[in-house]
Amino acid sequence: MIQSNNFRYSPGEHEAETASSSYLMSLIAIIVGAPLPILNLLATIIFYLSNRKSTYFVRWHCTQALLSQLSMLIINSFGFWWTVSIVFTAETISNEYIAYMISAIAFNIVEFIATLYTAVQTRKGKHIEWWFYGGLTNILCKESR
Amino acid sequence: MKKAVFQGILIVTLFFGTWYLLAQIKWVTIFNIQKKTENTEQKLGEIFWDVFKKTGKENTNKNVKNTIDSIVNHICETNGINIAKIKIHVLEKDDINAFALPNGHLIVFTGLISQSANQEELAGVICHELAHIELNHVMKKLIQEIGFTVVGSITSGSEGATIIKEATKLLSSSAYDRKLEKEADIKAVDLMVEANINPKPFADFLYKMSDKETIKQFTWISTHPDSKERGNYILSYCKTKSKQYRQVVTAEGWFKMQQELKKSE
Ligand SMILES: [Zn+2]
Repeated sequence: MIQSNNFRYSPGEHEAETASSSYLMSLIAIIVGAPLPILNLLATIIFYLSNRKSTYFVRWHCTQALLSQLSMLIINSFGFWWTVSIVFTAETISNEYIAYMISAIAFNIVEFIATLYTAVQTRKGKHIEWWFYGGLTNILCKESR
Repeated sequence: MKKAVFQGILIVTLFFGTWYLLAQIKWVTIFNIQKKTENTEQKLGEIFWDVFKKTGKENTNKNVKNTIDSIVNHICETNGINIAKIKIHVLEKDDINAFALPNGHLIVFTGLISQSANQEELAGVICHELAHIELNHVMKKLIQEIGFTVVGSITSGSEGATIIKEATKLLSSSAYDRKLEKEADIKAVDLMVEANINPKPFADFLYKMSDKETIKQFTWISTHPDSKERGNYILSYCKTKSKQYRQVVTAEGWFKMQQELKKSE
């Protein structure tokens, strides 16, 4: 699911630190704002925007972090509103709901571990490409700017 | 590009696949949610029925009891509804009303019985209320109107008498939302047809009542507004069914019961 590739150039110390922070941002936001799935996305977006003009390595990793946050946002908001409708409306707890929440939590845990691992590795200057997200980032994030 | 699209589809499939597979497990039974909800409903039913018992006298007339029982039993039997689940109570009140409480308590006021021109009209109202019970509308409405937490605290006995009275009032004299009402009407027709009771008089009854919606005693009609519209869609739904209809109680039995109700007034 995760592979360590050679980047086109080897990133400098400062680049590695900033790239690593983009993952850390979403981790911190998950811990702080766990019940509100929008918070970690916001944190990542702000970080992404402020590093838009940064070097390729930094931009690349900000994009990957943002993309993974986006898909988590979709999964988590659906779960969030489903829960709200159970508590406040006539919706009742069903097998589908519990199954959804378990799948959502499992995906969140996988994403959390991957993010944590990537934050550590990018800090060391290693280039980590995630399965699917890495490929998507390669399409969206171009070197020449 | 192709690879990313393929991987994307795979990830989405993985998520929905996990969800689908996990949904096959009966979590609700594993966590005993069903049982807990049933216990809550049972308690709420008892609490609310207690409140009503105090507001009026239960009718003890044998004829009335037999007539109502035969109608309800017949509807339940033909529709495969567990009769033990339905607890029917006839209260001495002039209000023209009938309503459902949690856990299958069905309250019918004598006012409704004596004002029904025929047994089909009465059966229609009963079927409509049975439909609310069968479709689990009662608990839905309660949670919608007073919220999960208040329902919980009523059950645990930590809620005061005022709140309980308010909630009781809610169930007896306020409307369900439109969607639920329509569902109940359609289901009521299904129940009637299955029980070989002609649903047309029920529709006519609603028509007849549409210009009496303002009459105060007509609680059931005022909590179930838009009678004309309801009469219309019930009638057009009836037309899709064709069946041989018959009466549940004999004309004599119905007449005799009405006489005795008048006497006791
Ligand atoms: Zn109704």
